[in-house]
Amino acid sequence: MSAALSVEITLTNRPEERPRLLEGLEGFAREHRLSGAVRQAIDLALEEHFTNILKYAYDDQALHTIRVRLELDDRAVLIQIEDDGRPFNLLARPAVNTAVPLESKPIGGLGIHLIVHSMDHVQYERRGEKNFLSLRKQLTEPPASG
Amino acid sequence: MEIQKITTGDSHELLVSGRIDGEGANKMEEEILTTMRAGAKNIYVNLNSATFICSAGLRVLLQYWRQMKNSQRTLLVTRPSAEVDAVLVTSGFREMIVEKV
Repeated sequence: MSAALSVEITLTNRPEERPRLLEGLEGFAREHRLSGAVRQAIDLALEEHFTNILKYAYDDQALHTIRVRLELDDRAVLIQIEDDGRPFNLLARPAVNTAVPLESKPIGGLGIHLIVHSMDHVQYERRGEKNFLSLRKQLTEPPASG
Repeated sequence: MEIQKITTGDSHELLVSGRIDGEGANKMEEEILTTMRAGAKNIYVNLNSATFICSAGLRVLLQYWRQMKNSQRTLLVTRPSAEVDAVLVTSGFREMIVEKV
């Protein structure tokens, strides 16, 4: 039987949800035998974006739903993260200059840089009251699911 | 994430294993602060067994690299794993890495 080509992980905006996000990704990576490099890159992007949502998306203390969808095609893993927090286009942020020496490097702000750098394509969209971040990570070799 | 400490005189080595995610970064920060308060002149953060680092971990390393430097002490990263090395280099942290202690 073929492995499912997509999986949806539904989370709330709580830090204790982190392990479920990681388990969802690891299950998907195992099922499709993704390379360590691809899995690591997606792990990093998800960790950074989830952290940003927890820190900056909401003013209230209410529970909000965050949906993460992972999908495989023959060339890439497509990732979509949906939240109903305040509008936040990470691509509109100024790029980090990584050549700045440690002495004068700003503390913080590297999360978005790591998302953009670890992915092959990043797209942001605001639809209605929701943010949609779409990411694409090329497979280094064809998936071996089946 | 686990942290082991090896102390040799004024030099303290922190051997970090596992994931340095948001939670791991907090734990690493606590250990670095404890080590600084213990009077360490040199702190070596050995990342050979660290499997993951995110921006929260980078923030902790940078913050205490700077604090140590400002008080004429040092904090450096040693032997990063390939996964961690890639993130450090991509983020412009190469000068924090020393090959050998």
